[in-house]
Amino acid sequence: MSEIKAKLRSEIERLLKDRFVDVFIAFKKADAPLRPQPAFFRNTNELDDLEYNGLCQNNLANYLTRYPKDTKIGIVVRGCESRSVNALVVEKQHPRENLYMIGIPCQGIVDIRKIFNRVGEEVANYSEFQDEVSVVFKGEQIKFPRKEVLHDSCLRCVHPNPINPDILLGDPVPEGDPSIVRQSVESFQALDKEKRYALFRQEAERCIRCYACREACPMCYCTECFVDHATPRWTETSISPAGTQAWHLIRAFHMAGRCTSCGACERACPMDIKLTYLTDKLNEDMLATYQFEAGMDDTTQPPFASFNLDDKNRFVV
Amino acid sequence: METRPKIALFQCKWCLYSEPDQYWVDNELPPSIHLVKLPCTGRINPLFILNAIQGGADGIMISGCLPEKCHYKEGNLSALRQQDEFLNLLDYIGYERERVRFVWLDLQDRSRIQKELSDFELEIARLGEAKVLATRTKQPVGGQYV
Repeated sequence: MSEIKAKLRSEIERLLKDRFVDVFIAFKKADAPLRPQPAFFRNTNELDDLEYNGLCQNNLANYLTRYPKDTKIGIVVRGCESRSVNALVVEKQHPRENLYMIGIPCQGIVDIRKIFNRVGEEVANYSEFQDEVSVVFKGEQIKFPRKEVLHDSCLRCVHPNPINPDILLGDPVPEGDPSIVRQSVESFQALDKEKRYALFRQEAERCIRCYACREACPMCYCTECFVDHATPRWTETSISPAGTQAWHLIRAFHMAGRCTSCGACERACPMDIKLTYLTDKLNEDMLATYQFEAGMDDTTQPPFASFNLDDKNRFVV
Repeated sequence: METRPKIALFQCKWCLYSEPDQYWVDNELPPSIHLVKLPCTGRINPLFILNAIQGGADGIMISGCLPEKCHYKEGNLSALRQQDEFLNLLDYIGYERERVRFVWLDLQDRSRIQKELSDFELEIARLGEAKVLATRTKQPVGGQYV
């Protein structure tokens, strides 16, 4: 992995030196251990802090919409991030010609909570080598197979390879199996109504309305969210059951046909609430009904932004 | 169910061509039916449906023009995809899909709206009170609880 980091660094150095990009979005070592944070490099001398490993858990496409459209942005993308960037390009949030994507085939994001659960919170010195990650806990080195500590949404990942990047570092990895996602959706759907609602309530009503999921999501870029409206007040904004349920339903629904299943919302949630079971269902429906997957190219409009006169045969009873 | 089921009726303002029907909907609806008039069913945002459910409606009926006869040509088609998918999502989390019904009214369908509403009322009475999805706490608006 350090090999990839060296390649990435030299590539970013080249881009910044040639003034090919104004800013490069990547990760840097953070003050908190084991939590690399997004960084915005404008000079080559800042690159000593550059970090890239399995713990980089943010979706960097999130920051595209925060720059003016004429800024030339370079960005390091994994599979899901490249799809998010493509989806944002389709929604005209940044012109593709002002973007430079460095793609890295992704081996999955390590869920730090899974490591904490297994060894305890005083973990230091994370390192990874091929299919193994190792951490130091109280002076003792502990090794895990990477598969066991991957984040849930990465276990279900279908497209780990970046889609239409400008340059690809490293060798492509095998594509995922779409039936794993379908199985998880279908197993939830197979439960009876009361059980499904009970599970939904259990997840939704733990919400503390911090909106970390919204902030972490690259597709949630509205300047005013529906929950922040005062007139009309669309939902209750407190942590009442009605309010949290509405937030979970509508947040997921706004992702229909746009979500790339990166799982950034789930990783950002401080309450460890499951969120992807809702968006996965919508993604499955979009795939089944409209044969559409978000971000697979940078021109196709998502189903809800377009419509077709053939639809009348589908809906009218 | 002891009282009549509460029904929210979303009605496209162009779909009732016959004047007596429109007069009935505007003036003689039973008090258990809450009328929301819209310029087109395409105006319906999934939030409207959710708000009606969380506002205490046991059933929701959406009446509009046939998709190919929309006053705005393609207005309702653009939102239909969303409404259909939103119902899928509600069904997925355990809400009974039958509580939301679409009715497509044609020029010839005189006095069909009354029949559809009473059919729907029977259906909702059979299903009973809606228990899935929490109800909003009432907010005073202009000194009154609405």
